[in-house]
Amino acid sequence: MIITHNLSKKYNEVSVLNIESLEIPKGQSFGLVGNNGAGKTTYFSLLLDLIQPTTGYIKNKDILVNESEDWKPFTSSFIDESFLIGYLTAEEYFYFIGELRGQNKADVDALVSQFEDFFHGEILGQKKYLRDLSKGNQKKAGIVAALIGNPEVIILDEPFANLDPTTQIRLKQIIKNLAQKHGVTVLVSSHDLLHVTDVCERIVVLEKGEVVKDLATNEATLKELELHFAGSEVL
Amino acid sequence: MIKHFISLEWKQFRRASYFQKGLAIKILLFLAVIYFGGIALFLGGVMFFGLKKVFPDVDPIVMVNNYLIYWIFFELMIRYFIQQLPVMNIKPLMIIPIKRDSVIHYLLGKTTLSFFNFISLFIVFPFSIVLLFKGYPVSNVILWFFAILCITMSINFLNFLINKSNTVFYGIVSVVAAIVALRYFNIFDVTEPIGKIFNGLYNQPYLAIIPLLIMIGLYKANFNFIRKGFYLDGAISKKIKEVHATDLSWMDRFGSVAPFLKNDIKMITRNARPKQVVLMSFFFLFYGLFFFTQKIYIEEMPYLLGFASIFITGGFLLSFGQLVPSWDSEYYKLLMSQNIPYRQYLESKWYLMVFAVIVAFILSTPYLYFGVDIYLIIAAGALFNIGLNTFITLFGGALNRVPIELDTKAKAFSNTNGFNPTQLLIALPKMALPIIIFFIPYHFINFNAGLIALALSGLIGIVFKNVFLNKIEQVYQKGKYKTIAAFSEKK
Repeated sequence: MIITHNLSKKYNEVSVLNIESLEIPKGQSFGLVGNNGAGKTTYFSLLLDLIQPTTGYIKNKDILVNESEDWKPFTSSFIDESFLIGYLTAEEYFYFIGELRGQNKADVDALVSQFEDFFHGEILGQKKYLRDLSKGNQKKAGIVAALIGNPEVIILDEPFANLDPTTQIRLKQIIKNLAQKHGVTVLVSSHDLLHVTDVCERIVVLEKGEVVKDLATNEATLKELELHFAGSEVL
Repeated sequence: MIKHFISLEWKQFRRASYFQKGLAIKILLFLAVIYFGGIALFLGGVMFFGLKKVFPDVDPIVMVNNYLIYWIFFELMIRYFIQQLPVMNIKPLMIIPIKRDSVIHYLLGKTTLSFFNFISLFIVFPFSIVLLFKGYPVSNVILWFFAILCITMSINFLNFLINKSNTVFYGIVSVVAAIVALRYFNIFDVTEPIGKIFNGLYNQPYLAIIPLLIMIGLYKANFNFIRKGFYLDGAISKKIKEVHATDLSWMDRFGSVAPFLKNDIKMITRNARPKQVVLMSFFFLFYGLFFFTQKIYIEEMPYLLGFASIFITGGFLLSFGQLVPSWDSEYYKLLMSQNIPYRQYLESKWYLMVFAVIVAFILSTPYLYFGVDIYLIIAAGALFNIGLNTFITLFGGALNRVPIELDTKAKAFSNTNGFNPTQLLIALPKMALPIIIFFIPYHFINFNAGLIALALSGLIGIVFKNVFLNKIEQVYQKGKYKTIAAFSEKK
């Protein structure tokens, strides 16, 4: 589904990302972990064509993302608060995204109603603008908005951060569901190793912009990751 | 302490991405400063002799004092629209041991160095020198000069308050409107008593204490205003209001651009900044009154008619349109990664502007009072606005990478007037073009030819809409990454 080839990003000659080759097949739940500055958000931004690659390319379903806009209809994402429109209420925001993705109000309502649990009664019917919600609630709205319109690729940057424990657990369920039952390719990044190993079939570790580990998740993965990040791994 | 602030400011200034614009623009700005400064100096130098020649019976200083009030209003207006207010990010400063008072003093002190303060200084200083050479009493002239300086500073601080507080803004606007109306309908001319006051300032030099006190008072008012807002919940966090949603589904008939149009309407009605701008654009409707009520413009400076007609219907275009991608700066990344072709985004903005021009045109019907010719030229101007100015505006928007904080009214520390000199430069062709298009055929053929030329230019623009939009889209596409980077910069 997503093919990364020879991709690099440099800022003033400093390399922040350098991925020779990375292929993410359709329907995979893919986790990206790494310390701050490892290049997770940079990779996602490149994937969404928000920044320009220095070399190489990313193909999303055979579409070169930095040359065509045709990947947009089947790709959705929530990276940070700048993906929210602060002066809309959550409902209005969902409808807006829905309209952009060819969904009518009823479609959006049907989808959103599945997540009432996840919202925990703090998003819908609040009569509040998104900018006035707390960070965690903003994130909930942003994540659900990214699910509107049956996207084939969903990109979530740090979806677990700022969420309360209950919501984290529910979110994990949602993400697993998407990949397993609906064949959606889900890309998440996280600092929380436990969550990532819970959710993702495959985990890639980035370090200073390079892929240092590419693991298919099993029981030993969490231990391995913990060892890796503790820095005590025997080389 | 102050030293630290200055170095912080300098870094912020130098490292902001929108500072790194073309060298050409920087040079132009520099030249503009020299030019206006030079004009001011020259004006101040020759003013005495000019007034003496035109009004030989009146003492020039009396003449100046009589009309000083208009200058004050003019300066206030110019400043309101153009002057950049000091911006400082206070959040990080709140928890480190710096006295709040010194931050505020610094901030206010910074405004005294604005170029605008020097304009009147540049005029009044040579004027005062001439007065001294002409043998006017030294103490009177010097203290009058001092009083004018205090008044300039008072305007400076008043402008700050006007920008930050709607109450003050509407208060001043209504006072000015009342004064103009009273004079226009010959009920009462305030110029005279006010002129007396300023003359009193000159004749009784010790009265210079009054402007000094006013200045200090305004400084204090500003100080208190900012001081009050110097808390997280005051200046930075916002009050939460309950939302009343409006049903805009009637706009769905506009097809694929409907979601954007609905969104823009919400953006305008729910945020402080765009609300203010749209309100201002409404005042443009009355712009024609300046021109059409004076025979002199119609008979001797007809090329200005084309200019005036642009303004009447183009208020929204000029004030809102010039900031086009910036309005969406807060969520630009969303728009760029959502299922939106750039083209559609631009087209929706185009429709919004066209819609505004049409509304303004309908509202301008009362101008029929000034005759069919005037009304026709407004119609031609509206066509020009729709057909060409919209595209020029959108094109100019591609160069505009200053992010806007939409709901900033409550904040005392950020700049609420997003007007910057680059935009002024982009605005020039919008105003010069209609004059040229109207005047050349008018001059060589007749009024109707000018009218037709203006209208035709607009129609041609509409016919070539797709060509223009394609070109503009390419320009936006090219600057996309730069724009995203600049918009995601935190102020």
